[in-house]
Order: sequence, then structure tokens, then C-alpha cells
Amino acid sequence: MTMNNKTRGDYFLGLCLIILIFLLYRSGFFTVEAWQNFVDHFYQNFIEKDRYMMLVKGLRSTIFMTLFATLIGVAVGIILSVIRVAHAGGIHIPVLNALADCYIAVLRGTPAMVQLLIWNFTIFASARDLNKMYIAILAFGLNSGAYVAEIFRGGIEAIDRGQMEAARSLGLSYGKSMRLVILPQAIRNVVPMLFNEFIVLLKETSVAGYIGIDDLTRAGQNIQALTMEHSQPLIMVAIIYLLIVMFLSYLVRRLEKYLSRSRRG
Amino acid sequence: MKKFLLFVLILCAAGGLYYYLDCKNKAPEQIPEPKLSSIEQLKDQKLAAQRGTVGQMIAEDLLGGRSEELLTTFEKYVDAVSALRQKKIRAIIMDEQPAKRFVKEIEGLAIMKQELANESYAIGFKKGNTDLVNKVNAALNEIKSDGTLDKIFDKYYNGDLKQINPDEIDFNLNADGGKLVVGTEAGFAPYELKVGDSYIGVDIEMCAAIAKKLNMSLVIENMNFDALPMAVNSGKVDMICAGFTVTEDRKKNMDFSENYVVNAKHVALVRADDYEQ
Repeated sequence: MTMNNKTRGDYFLGLCLIILIFLLYRSGFFTVEAWQNFVDHFYQNFIEKDRYMMLVKGLRSTIFMTLFATLIGVAVGIILSVIRVAHAGGIHIPVLNALADCYIAVLRGTPAMVQLLIWNFTIFASARDLNKMYIAILAFGLNSGAYVAEIFRGGIEAIDRGQMEAARSLGLSYGKSMRLVILPQAIRNVVPMLFNEFIVLLKETSVAGYIGIDDLTRAGQNIQALTMEHSQPLIMVAIIYLLIVMFLSYLVRRLEKYLSRSRRG
Repeated sequence: MKKFLLFVLILCAAGGLYYYLDCKNKAPEQIPEPKLSSIEQLKDQKLAAQRGTVGQMIAEDLLGGRSEELLTTFEKYVDAVSALRQKKIRAIIMDEQPAKRFVKEIEGLAIMKQELANESYAIGFKKGNTDLVNKVNAALNEIKSDGTLDKIFDKYYNGDLKQINPDEIDFNLNADGGKLVVGTEAGFAPYELKVGDSYIGVDIEMCAAIAKKLNMSLVIENMNFDALPMAVNSGKVDMICAGFTVTEDRKKNMDFSENYVVNAKHVALVRADDYEQ
């Protein structure tokens, strides 16, 4: 009997479904009490007194934080990578290069959460009227900058050396060749990776609760403290993160396809 | 799309299988250790406490040299209670009032009758901030003597937390005397709890009353308990009010107001089926 991939997939899907239903049935999942219990808890955790709004607001600050941190990260990353590439490419700026090296080593070599705590409790210790959100954006953004710098360096180094040589032989200065010839191509190469950095940051900001920002994770914990239920708020938070990340990954894939197509043409 | 469905289904199937096996494995009862009946028995049991609390210090004293092995510290009480219900630990050392709330709201928990310690709560300040300590003490004495504080205690100890509307608490936001920034950990009902965007609790209402007396607007900073001493000493917050017990060790690094809660007992929260009175 021959079976093409599609029908095999269908059978497999059906089989999984049957096994799932059977297991759930055996574990008492379909009893009225279990279902009622689930619905009651769900109501208590998310519907009653509009508690879902806590999650919505948490999600809003998570996305706000991630977005601006990524922007800072990209800006810092481009500057750092250009300094390092230029140094390697013959434009010697020893002090700046050493600083960039040091920056990347320190910020990549320490956990983001430790950095966040240091920013909040040591560096900005006396800044009481400063919104904590800005501190978090700064901490995550500068941290991300170190990673983005490496991404960009990879992107720039992936451009054929001949491009730079050709631009220079046409009489463009190093800065101009970099800005007009190399960087536009490098940026196109690394855009998908930048989206990935956004995804990484989205998950990394879940430690912002440590300095008292009510991000998505912390919102889930706040609901836990209110309803004293452990699993449901946490699993809901996980599902929200997962959905966002899956959606973004889908966008990245589309983007990669689009970019590779336009290059061919 | 189909791939995604398949993925989700496999995930669910795995989850279902786990759930099923989990239910099955529960059947054989472990050989019952003698049930808990006195505090003495806790000396060689797995205990839990919130990080940085007096509960942790008591548990450490209780366990002696074995605390590293037997004591688990949690960031949030909800996590500790989950661990207790999953039988990962035998008892949580915590303050009496929050423990009472857990017993009321979650089935199958009990408080051991014997108390572990009897202490007081006070507001904590940065060492040397005598000016603010004096002002807060004066305000505290006023609300003590005019009965405001007793009303707050009655509202939270005897009332239903779910009926309390956070909008009724006046944070005195239009005051012209500046801000009074208070650090707290809002997972410690009935003393502090986050509801929606706002906060309720004994400490919150008391601070609101104090802020009113000082003609300042109240700002609440919600953070992890073990970060509170750091926050007040770095000046991030003016004072901390989080069911904070006065101890000799803490007095070395911090100034305290007068006590506002005396008789704050520390108790052991256990499973009801594991406790024999």
C-alpha cells in the first residue's frame, strides 16, 4: 500500500487525537466536576473583577520595554560593530576599539538580570523620580547592544572584501564606503537576526519584576497572590509568551523568504 | 498549519500521558511517617520560608547545621504553598495572619498551634534618617490614639479581603508636601496585596493615613522582599512597610519606627492530613 506524506500525516494526527482523548478520559478529565473546577478557577483567575486586565497591562509593558530596548540595542550595536570592524580593517582607533571590546566583554559576560539589579539599585540608586521602566529599557537595551554588535560584525564580515576594495578604488573614503556600500547590504543580511534578538529580549524582560515593573510575568504572579492558585496564571502567561514568539518567528521566516527573493532578482 | 496542529496535538498527548501516569502513581501511599504534632518534630524536616524574612531565620535556627540541606527559600508565598501541597516540603515558617488567610482560602492546610516566635512589626528607614523617623512616629501615634489604626486592623483581620475596594484608599495624591515613597512586597495579605492597578492591605492603608498626616502623597513601590533593605538604604524608597519584623540584626543596618503590630506570631503552616493536634 502506498501512502503519500499528506495522508500519513492525517492518520498520525487522528491517532494522536484518539490517544489524547483516551488518556484524558482515563484520568477523569471529562467528569463534570473536573470541568466545573477548571471553569471556576479560570473564572476566578482571569474574569472576576477584570483580572485579565492585569495580564493585558503586563503584556503592554513587556512589549513596550522590549521594543525600545531593541531600538537602543540596534543603535548601540551598529556603532560598536563599526568601530571594531574599522579597527580590524586598517582604520586604527585604539582607545575606542578597546572600549568597545571591553563593553562587549562585560555586558555579554554577566547575566542580564544582574545588570538590571545593578542599574536599578547601584547606578540609579538615588534617581527616585525616574520611571523604573526607563531604567529597565536602558539596562536591557545596553545589554542587547553587546549581542547586536556581534550580529552586525558577522553581517559586515560576511560582505565580500572585494566590495570594500572596489568602493575604495573608486575613490570613496573608508567612512563613505562603509556607510553607502557595506552597511546597507550588511543590514539586509542581519534583519532576521535582529528580529530574533527581539524575541530573545521579549523573554529576557521577564525578570523585570525584580525591580518592581509589572510586566507579563509579574502580572501572572500578582494574580497568583490574589487568587492563591499556582498553575493557571503561570500557564496562561506561558501561553501568551509562546503565541507572541510563534507569531514573530513566523514573521521572521516570511521576511527571510522575502529578502532572499529580492536578492536573486 | 497542519504541522502546527500536529505539534500541538503531540504536546497535548504527552501532557495527557504525563497527567495519566501521575494520577496512577499517586495510588500507593507512602509509609506514613508519624504525623506532625509538635514544633520539635520540625527539626529534621524539609521546611520552607520566604527569602529574607524572619521566618527564614527561625527555620535556620530550628534546623541548626542542616538548614542548607533542608531549608528551601521562596520568592513568593504562593510558590511555597504549592510546594507544601505537592509534599515537597513539610512545613512553611511564616507570619500568622497570612497563614490564616491561606488556611481559609485553600483546603487541606492547617496551622500548628504551638507558635515559634512572637515579634513586632515596624516601619523601616535608612540608618540615620532620624528626621523622617520622628515625623512618621508622631503621625503613627496620632492614628493609634484616634482609633484609625484599630479600624484598619479590624477591617482586614475580620473582614473579607475580596470585598475591599482599592479605590476607597486615599493616597492623598494632590498633597503639596512632596512624595512619600514606600517599598513593599505585595504578596503578603492581609498586610499588602496588589489588586488590579492598585494596592490594599493593613500596611497600605496605614501608610496612606500617615501620608495624610504629613501632607505628602503616597507612592507604593512593589518589589521582592529581599530587595527591600537594599532599596531603603540606597534611597530608592523613603521607608519600607511590609510586615517587617524588628530584629536586633536588622537594627544594625536600619532605623525603625515604633511598633505598629505587636504580637506578630510566627507559625508553621502544614498540611491538615499531616497534622495531629
